[in-house]
Amino acid sequence: MATTVLRPATTTYRTGLYEWLTTTDHKKIGILYVLNSFLFFLLAGLLALGVRTELARPGIQFFDEKLYNQLFTMHGTVMIFLFIIPMLAGFGNYVVPLMIGAADMAFPRINALSFWMLPLGGLLLFSGFLTGGAAAEGWTSYSPLAQAKYAGMGTDLWLVGLTLIGTSSILGAVNFLVTIFKLRAPGMTLFRMPILVWTVLVTSVLVLMATPVFTSALIMLFIDRNYGGHFFDPATGGNAILWQNVFWFYSHPAVYVMILPAMGIISEVLPVFSRKPLFGYRAFVFATSAIGALGFSVWAHHMFTTGSVFLPFFSLMTFLIAVPTGVKMFNWIATLWGGHIRLASPMLFAIGFLTMFLIGGINGAFSAAVPVDFALHDTYWVVAHIHYVLFGGSVFGVFAGIYYWFPKMTGRFLDERLAKVHFVLMFVGMNLTFFPMHLLGLAGMPRRIADYSPAAGWSELNLLATIGGFTIAASMLPFIWNVLVSLRSGVEAGDDPWEGNTLEWATSSPPPPYNFDHLPEIRSERPLFDQRHGLLGSGH
Amino acid sequence: MPSRRSRLSRARSLGLVALAALLLGGCSQIAGLYPPAAATDQGQRIRDLYDLVFAIAVVIFLFVEGLILWAVFRYRRRDRVGLPPQVHGNNTLEVVWTAVPMAIVAVLFFFSWQTLNTVDARAADPALKVDVVGFQWQWQFSYPDAGVTVIGLPDSPPELHVPAGQTVELDLKSQDVIHAFYVPSFLFKRDVVPGKVNVFDFRIDQPGTYRGQCAEFCGLGHDRMTFSVVAQTPADFAAWLAAKKATPAPSAPAGAAAGSAPPSAGSGQAASLSLSASNIAFGSASLTAPANTAFSLTFDNQDQGIPHNVDIKDASGTSVFRGDVVTGPARTSYSVPALKPGSYTFVCDVHPNMSGTLTVQ
Repeated sequence: MATTVLRPATTTYRTGLYEWLTTTDHKKIGILYVLNSFLFFLLAGLLALGVRTELARPGIQFFDEKLYNQLFTMHGTVMIFLFIIPMLAGFGNYVVPLMIGAADMAFPRINALSFWMLPLGGLLLFSGFLTGGAAAEGWTSYSPLAQAKYAGMGTDLWLVGLTLIGTSSILGAVNFLVTIFKLRAPGMTLFRMPILVWTVLVTSVLVLMATPVFTSALIMLFIDRNYGGHFFDPATGGNAILWQNVFWFYSHPAVYVMILPAMGIISEVLPVFSRKPLFGYRAFVFATSAIGALGFSVWAHHMFTTGSVFLPFFSLMTFLIAVPTGVKMFNWIATLWGGHIRLASPMLFAIGFLTMFLIGGINGAFSAAVPVDFALHDTYWVVAHIHYVLFGGSVFGVFAGIYYWFPKMTGRFLDERLAKVHFVLMFVGMNLTFFPMHLLGLAGMPRRIADYSPAAGWSELNLLATIGGFTIAASMLPFIWNVLVSLRSGVEAGDDPWEGNTLEWATSSPPPPYNFDHLPEIRSERPLFDQRHGLLGSGH
Repeated sequence: MPSRRSRLSRARSLGLVALAALLLGGCSQIAGLYPPAAATDQGQRIRDLYDLVFAIAVVIFLFVEGLILWAVFRYRRRDRVGLPPQVHGNNTLEVVWTAVPMAIVAVLFFFSWQTLNTVDARAADPALKVDVVGFQWQWQFSYPDAGVTVIGLPDSPPELHVPAGQTVELDLKSQDVIHAFYVPSFLFKRDVVPGKVNVFDFRIDQPGTYRGQCAEFCGLGHDRMTFSVVAQTPADFAAWLAAKKATPAPSAPAGAAAGSAPPSAGSGQAASLSLSASNIAFGSASLTAPANTAFSLTFDNQDQGIPHNVDIKDASGTSVFRGDVVTGPARTSYSVPALKPGSYTFVCDVHPNMSGTLTVQ
């Protein structure tokens, strides 16, 4: 029996503020990531409520165009760069070292550095509101609209803030890769790694290859604006489409950065709550890698209407990337098939992910058909698509993860009844908000408009979407209440409350510094399952 | 027991199929799930493709969503005794659900490529060519052969008149930021990109009016960059073009009282002011003019290819003078009627964020 002895448990988690500010423990940094990201989720959600409130009825009622444009720009930017990406990185931080039986991340100090760049970057982004207006060119910040001639100082703050956040991402990716390749426990071969670790691995490769391109583009635009760089401004010999190419070369893979780890989370949750192994583990790994690779060849499908794209190639690649995504969907369903399904809160959100992400996959395929994209591009259809992927997919995945690992992080369960209220409100709210947007897009409503004519016939659907938006906001109340109450008086969870499969459940809840006293033997991707049922029971 | 159970499950699956068929039929009936009826030939091709993609999408959606829900309800277990069979995978199934989607996307790609080739096809000799210039924040349509130009303002969007039944070519140009020419009934849009010219053809079969607007976010006035396309019979179109040619273009919109007051009664020489515009901003933020006397305002628009004007509004926001729009670089002289003493604002109608104060004393 291979037993790895690591440094024994010493202190508990009841430590002061100073400890939290200076910690290099991956679990505390992971929790900081999650808290920080959740805070920005609430802020960006409020910005979205502003957008929905203004659009509820035709006419300008609450925010003029100047403020409205800042609202949706900051909503998109903050949700993507300060909520989804770092939230998933936070789960990775907390869970990956535990799952591979490591004591910490490979570079604990770099880990702390990459976290602390985030609140700083966020502060810079938001400080635009105090200096005459935040960035207001949309989260895509197309040139020439983002040039100094058209956009104010908020855009400089946006560029500097995102450069910091991008750098944080790159450092985090290096840290994950070294951790995964160098710090796995004895017996933890690559093909015994939990799927979440695989998705973090592929995500980190994507970040490492794409984010430096984006960061360079940000710096080039900053030079354009402040030092006459002329990279992206045709008025001075630059090229407007060049910005779109470099922007999307990053930002399309970024969509996979935002969805792959969420897929990883539900690939942990579904087997545990079906009491079966993940169906087609290897196929799943290959599909994840295929998505990562194909993800670099589809960026120009955001630019079909520019007249500057070789359309058939990007259309074909975009259709192709649906195949590995479909493989994953069928593997998940086959995992449920014939299982003993328990609808606990993490499972509810994982099933919510399946049902909603399916829609986000299908309505995306419409835009792969180039002529159909000519009709749908830059309308509310696209807004519906991205929210079925990032809300229906990533956000449901994030909450599945929170309900799943909260007992590990705190030693206590979240309340199941409040969780169900949260789930139902969020599920209904998201469909009320985002489904009507398909119809609005088909009817010709462009995105990013502060106002529309009452004669356009879009009023009812917009009102419906606004009601849905407030329903989503309301769903946060039972959740926050649940967290606050459960932290004090939640049911004690014990080390392995869900009968988990992976190594994080082999240590105490919360785990001690450096994680493990000893590790179980690792002979498959489910070491704890093997320990519980013996190798015979696990069907090897 | 097993026979009853299998009968039950057969009844269930029959019910499921019936429900799916019902939903399928239902979805295909809801008009909101389809784009508007296509006005153009090209749009009709896109609509046909949309219908195909939509039909396949609905079938896949119902099938997969049905599988998920079926699995969840069928295999839900409250008691947690024992273990289900530990199935790790199945290579045949993996091959099937890789190959079938691959075949579906191959079909979709084939048809969308074919449609793309028809939609993007260009006529060698279109019946009409129109230059479309998108600017912050309106449109300008020029008919170079006839020497006619139509220019829009945020509160008076322009009309693009075209002959029905004939192929029209649009040359899209921008002098400032990126816009997109989008007509929902065309099921089509194309970006208007500074530094390059995008060209596309279309043919509208029936006379009619179709609303359009900018689809690429372009700043403050993006939501007000609306226009309409008016398809007329060739005879009506020719008459419209001839009438336009007869009137000097571009003119200030109706209702703007340009020079309604008689020239200054008293003083021998009229006062003269000057104002410039460059980089989407007025050269000075405040001007002073004499009261109760007409004066001339020399307006120098230095922005290459960008239209500006000067609109003077009183404290209540009512326009007391509205100058013609001039596209830079150009210089014009406005004759402003006598104004009562007070404080006024002057703005550019095209760019509502360009403003300043005019003190009349």
